[in-house]
Amino acid sequence: MIGLVVRRLGWTVVVAWFVVTATFALISVIPADPVRALAPHATPEVAERIRAHYCLDRSFTGQYGCFVSHVARGELGESVRGGRPVTQILAERAWPSIQLALAAIVLQLVFGALVGVVGAARRGRWADRVGGLAGVVGLSAPPFFVGPLLLFLLAYRLGWFPLGGYGSGVLDRLWHLVLPAATIACGGLAYYARAVRTEMIDALGQDYVRTARAKGLPERSVIVRHALRNSLGPLTSIAGLSFGMLLCGEVIVEYIFAWPGLGRELLLAILAQDGPVIVGIVLVSALALACANLVVDLVQLWLDPRLRAESE
Amino acid sequence: MRSAVLAIALAACSPPDHGPRWRAAGNASPRDGGTLRFATSDQVVTLDPAIEYDQISGYIVHALHDTLVGYEPGGTALVPHLAASWRVSPDGLDYTFALRDGIVFADGSPITAESFLAAFARVRAAADSPFQPFLANVASVSAPDPHALAFHLAKADASFVYVLAMPFAAPHRDGSDTTSGPFVLERWDPGVRVVLRKNTRYWDAAHVHLDAIEMAENVPRDVQFLMFERGDLDTVEGLALADYLWIQDQPAWQPFVHVRATLNSYGSRMNVRQKPFDDRRVRQALNYALDKQHSVKLLGGAAIASHGILPPGVLGRDDTLAPYPHDPAKARELLAAAGYPGGFDIEYMIIDDDEAERLAGSLQHDLGEAGVRVHITELSIAMYAAALASKDGPAFAKAGWIADYPDPASFFDGCFHTRAISDEGTTNFAFYSNPELDALLDSARAEPDPARRAALYRRAEHIVYDDAPWLWDYHQETVEVTQPYVRDYEPHPVWLRDYTHAWLDLDGDGERVTR
Repeated sequence: MIGLVVRRLGWTVVVAWFVVTATFALISVIPADPVRALAPHATPEVAERIRAHYCLDRSFTGQYGCFVSHVARGELGESVRGGRPVTQILAERAWPSIQLALAAIVLQLVFGALVGVVGAARRGRWADRVGGLAGVVGLSAPPFFVGPLLLFLLAYRLGWFPLGGYGSGVLDRLWHLVLPAATIACGGLAYYARAVRTEMIDALGQDYVRTARAKGLPERSVIVRHALRNSLGPLTSIAGLSFGMLLCGEVIVEYIFAWPGLGRELLLAILAQDGPVIVGIVLVSALALACANLVVDLVQLWLDPRLRAESE
Repeated sequence: MRSAVLAIALAACSPPDHGPRWRAAGNASPRDGGTLRFATSDQVVTLDPAIEYDQISGYIVHALHDTLVGYEPGGTALVPHLAASWRVSPDGLDYTFALRDGIVFADGSPITAESFLAAFARVRAAADSPFQPFLANVASVSAPDPHALAFHLAKADASFVYVLAMPFAAPHRDGSDTTSGPFVLERWDPGVRVVLRKNTRYWDAAHVHLDAIEMAENVPRDVQFLMFERGDLDTVEGLALADYLWIQDQPAWQPFVHVRATLNSYGSRMNVRQKPFDDRRVRQALNYALDKQHSVKLLGGAAIASHGILPPGVLGRDDTLAPYPHDPAKARELLAAAGYPGGFDIEYMIIDDDEAERLAGSLQHDLGEAGVRVHITELSIAMYAAALASKDGPAFAKAGWIADYPDPASFFDGCFHTRAISDEGTTNFAFYSNPELDALLDSARAEPDPARRAALYRRAEHIVYDDAPWLWDYHQETVEVTQPYVRDYEPHPVWLRDYTHAWLDLDGDGERVTR
């Protein structure tokens, strides 16, 4: 078990190094100039001096060395736009993204499980079909359609929610979270529903369910306490993996709802060719994904004794 | 559940009320108090005046800092701010400023001549400050006494005082981040919002009426407009075209739509060192081929067709010059004379945004009528900027110029002087070099008499009009819509958003009055 964790953490470092190097290589081949984009009137001498300040005047290897020396000091360099430390920007952006990812996953879990359970219990009947159809519609509707639609109807016309933004204070924050989280959840709901439905149908055919029914337990108790509980395994892996993806991948939703997360910062950084910020966010993203993978594996091991026996 | 579905269905169908929801309470004199709220579609990147060179950060930096001289409210005339007065020597080399009595920073410490010297030293020392060239002509600056500041220039420069109105020239106290402007920073949540509060120690605090300004960052333009309509914002600027066209149709909103010319010129650079633009007739032909009214229309009317680099209101602009008329036949004639009877194929580089795309599509059509087949390439801002500044970038590209200050030198010298040419960092985007123009610009910069200066720049206008290193297109105007209770406000030609003297016409309880 400990050996596995150490091995996986070792791999995580290798993956992170590879991703960062590849990102560096990509940025360095793009013929773009962030300094000139920011200060279009700068004389050539001034532009050159600012570039030198950010190591941009060097070759790929020189810039890479600059980055490595920053990392050795526990830093990730400075944003080319404004000179703020990248570690500070990451720290500011991570928490909003974590909140949004968690909220989206909670919505997906709750509603996905609900649709899945109903679908399995009423298999082939209209509730199952409606659930299935809704899942497909949600999956097919892109967030750049769902987001503005929710924003326009529920926030602008009905005034039930704020028109984007981050809010302050716990309740206000939750209120601001609903629409962006719902937009993300809308797309992922079908995966959860389908997984729960399949597992439930499988579980409902098992001997222990027949035993429970034979004992005369009410159907609700059979479904919730016996079948559902055993169907939750796959959900943890879907949720864990999607957490890693959601953390930096919600570019569009964060943009539409003015949510100050990593995804939107990444978009702005890419447009401005802000290398240190791009690399920083890609690094966080890679680490988050690798860690989410590791946690999922560990949870699976803990949940299922059979896997544990195999790994040892 | 059913009522929620019904409510959503009704909301989707029912038309909203089109007029403003609130009105001015009708106070006769400016009312103190209240928070003015607005939003921007990008984010503040720095609050350091020695580094800040972008529009969004500029709004905040300008509100936080004051300078020796400033602009009159809503206009471009220079007036004393932290300086009480200034004198210029007859040879135009010495500028002496007398500071206002009793001026202090927001933390209460006095502003002295040393505070300005500290600011200049800071800009000169900062590795990432873009403002050193603005001080390059300053041979020496000294503080003869704590309330006087003396500049000695290497060469006479009639536009120098404008440089001192730029925020990097604001006083600075070493070891402190205190500021000198009408507002102080209350909080900055990067990427989320900036909150400013009135600086009660500001020398002109009696004319600052707002208690606070709150700017939300990163709100998409169309969402800003929804927030404004719903009353979450007091003013909205840079409307999406659809929203701007919509509001033009609403009579009740018209008194609160502010359209203002600012310090810019947009067009297309034609690299005169590359074929086919090495021939003046080709450049003129393209100027005849483009219908500038198409561009104006695509900008919702918030633009003025241009004949050159100087927008209306800037010294030296020759208003008798009309933009090149739309004349495809004349364009074809000139092309044939230049040896391109069948026209030519050309790549056209633009930034990847909606507005640039629309305008490029129209240009492609217009030039097509004259036989020039335009192929559009869209690039991100950073790639575009690199290609535009390089001698090897596309010869034909969208170009724009936003001046640093409202003086013709800030337009011409950076854009068309031979000095501004450089292989990989040119700001003379057309690589246009004309010794006659260079000499004219140099003498115009040094000329102390405004009337003679204006005459020199008018000659410069004619030279670049005829030589046409750019495909002249338009001067874009800024459009801002305010709620009816925002009073004494106009967008500023230099700062765009400057709420120093604006006030909120609310009722006795500080509430908005519904219409």
